[in-house]
Amino acid sequence: MAEENAIELRGVKKAWGDVVAVQSFDVEIRKGEFFSLLGPSGCGKTTTLRMIAGLEEPTEGQILLEGHDVVRVPPYRRNVHTVFQDYALFPHMTVNKNIWFPLKMRGISLSDAGQRIDRVLRLVNMEGYERRLPQQLSGGQRQRIALARSLVDEPAALLLDEPLGALDFKLRGAMQKVLKDIQRNVGITFIYVTHDQTEALTMSDRIAVMKSGRVHQIGTPDEIYSRPATAFVASFIGEMNFLHGRRLQAQGEMPQAEVGGHRFRASRSTITGTPGSGDEVLVCIRTERVQVNSHRGTDHEVEGTVRRIVYRGTDYELTCDLAGQEVRAVVSAVDWNPELRVGTQARLGFNAADITFFPQAEEKEIVQYTTEAV
Amino acid sequence: MGERFSAPRALLRGIPITVWMLCLVAVPLGYTFLISFFQVEGLQIAAKFTLKNYRLFFTDPMYSGILLKSMLLALAIALLAILAGYPLAYMLSFRVRRGKQALFMLSIIPLWVSYLVRIIAWRTILGNKGVINSALTSLGLIQEPLSFLLYNRFAIAVTLTYICIPFVFIPVYTSLEKIPRNIMEASSDLGAGELRTFFNVVLPLSLPGLVTGFIFAFIIALGDYIIPQQLGGTQGIMFGNLIWSQFGFAFNWPFGAALSFILLAISVTILGLTSRFGSTEGGFLSE
Ligand SMILES: Nc1ncnc2c1ncn2[C@@H]1O[C@H](COP(=O)(O)OP(=O)(O)OP(=O)(O)O)[C@@H](O)[C@H]1O
Ligand SMILES: [Mg+2]
Repeated sequence: MAEENAIELRGVKKAWGDVVAVQSFDVEIRKGEFFSLLGPSGCGKTTTLRMIAGLEEPTEGQILLEGHDVVRVPPYRRNVHTVFQDYALFPHMTVNKNIWFPLKMRGISLSDAGQRIDRVLRLVNMEGYERRLPQQLSGGQRQRIALARSLVDEPAALLLDEPLGALDFKLRGAMQKVLKDIQRNVGITFIYVTHDQTEALTMSDRIAVMKSGRVHQIGTPDEIYSRPATAFVASFIGEMNFLHGRRLQAQGEMPQAEVGGHRFRASRSTITGTPGSGDEVLVCIRTERVQVNSHRGTDHEVEGTVRRIVYRGTDYELTCDLAGQEVRAVVSAVDWNPELRVGTQARLGFNAADITFFPQAEEKEIVQYTTEAV
Repeated sequence: MGERFSAPRALLRGIPITVWMLCLVAVPLGYTFLISFFQVEGLQIAAKFTLKNYRLFFTDPMYSGILLKSMLLALAIALLAILAGYPLAYMLSFRVRRGKQALFMLSIIPLWVSYLVRIIAWRTILGNKGVINSALTSLGLIQEPLSFLLYNRFAIAVTLTYICIPFVFIPVYTSLEKIPRNIMEASSDLGAGELRTFFNVVLPLSLPGLVTGFIFAFIIALGDYIIPQQLGGTQGIMFGNLIWSQFGFAFNWPFGAALSFILLAISVTILGLTSRFGSTEGGFLSE
């Protein structure tokens, strides 16, 4: 067999009675890939991970580890390890014994395991802690021991369930680097669960974006960010404007819509079927792609009244009124023109390349912005 | 609430429990200890200091023989109660999904039934015309009733084991319930099947409950005198009966008090020894 995948899901579904936690999940995860499951709370990330680990049995579908269907294989015979969110270290064993555990289960004595234990401890930068008990370690240290324990017998893949969720912001950032470095060094496949989009974007080779048990998109961070497949993905990642528009006749290849009397062309539209005019569409553009009083020419320019200005340190968020709808723009603090004030007119520029149309029906899936309510 | 008690207030709060302990434990115990150095003159307890009560115990091998026999029996009973109570607690804690609470109550309901009623019940089960014998006779498996069932040490062991099971079950169940489930999942995830998860993770983590249960069962079995008296027959003189008879028809309270203290000393020693193994952190299993 040629280069096989580390993990493959085929039509995987998990339901508890009426509760469908995961449905029709199809993916092929390559060896050595850093693959993230991203989505809001309750979307089925943990369930997916637990099915791969064998801690949960899928209602339907197949799970392949290194080419073999493992649906009926118990967790202790699967060559993958889970790093639990709350670490799940054995409280009655020292760090040494904890890390030895998977090797012990393979019949390796503590003295024979010594070198490998030392190596993973070095890898996670925890040498010298061998004799400590888990409760004598900080959260970040426990995290690293849990990681070392899962790495020591070199599994085919590591499943990490929000491993940094319990750490504070700074430590999170540091641990993200540690994790990414380790993954690169050992070359083990990582499946990484997170609901933090920045974490997913910065660390992953590919991301599966999920909502309510359904996979909305699988792609590289760049694909997910710049070519979101659904309005939900667009809203979940980054900051996005969604404007209500009306469909117009396409201009050549370019779909067109009208928002408050202005005509917008889009480089992309996910609306299928014949472009009937008059349908409602969602016109979508990232806040940092909206140009404010820019000298550079843009495809579309409209005037809007400034409603709100929020200073955010490195940038300003400007909210303008465009024919009764709100458009938000992010302007870097360096380019900020202090003459812009609430009540003044601003010239907003849009490029067709940055605009996507989504079906109006997807509006209910959009993750609402918290700043919306005033 | 991060409330801190000042030392005097903490002391004040300690007063009720201290008074309670004094009245119910320290005073009677102290009094018994005192009496154990007194002697009987005629039908009176005379407050004259003597060591003869203790000397009698250590010189007459009959007494230490009974003590040893009682301790061995209590040990066997405690182990049997663990053998029955631990799997029960394990099943209830890990295997039962629905009706856990109800099954837990069912397991401890025997504690609500009068001790004496339970003893009489066992007599009806084990007796010559009891449940077992009549069943076996009517099945034609035996002609004569089995006589080894009642009025011997076997009957004591069976009944006391039955009495002790809830006292093992409750602490073991509590300690099993306290084991985080994801630790067991981690064990399975890292390559341990159920048996190895049990010996490497569950058993060490439930050890405090197991030790508590063992101590309960052992001390209950060692101190009991009613069951040996009711079901033990002539073999059935246990150390508890010895003490009881000194306070009863022998009317030798000082000697009874001395025997009580010897029993107490043994119980406390066992408690001290075993509780060292009960701690999971830094205990012998972690090293
Ligand atoms: N044992 C279970 N029985 C019934 N429903 C369950 C069970 N486990 C999970 N669910 C449901 O399945 C859905 C997905 O849960 P899951 O834990 O996978 O979400 P998640 O994406 O990991 O969320 P979070 O980010 O909050 O951890 C939820 O609606 C949850 O209520
Ligand atoms: Mg989860």
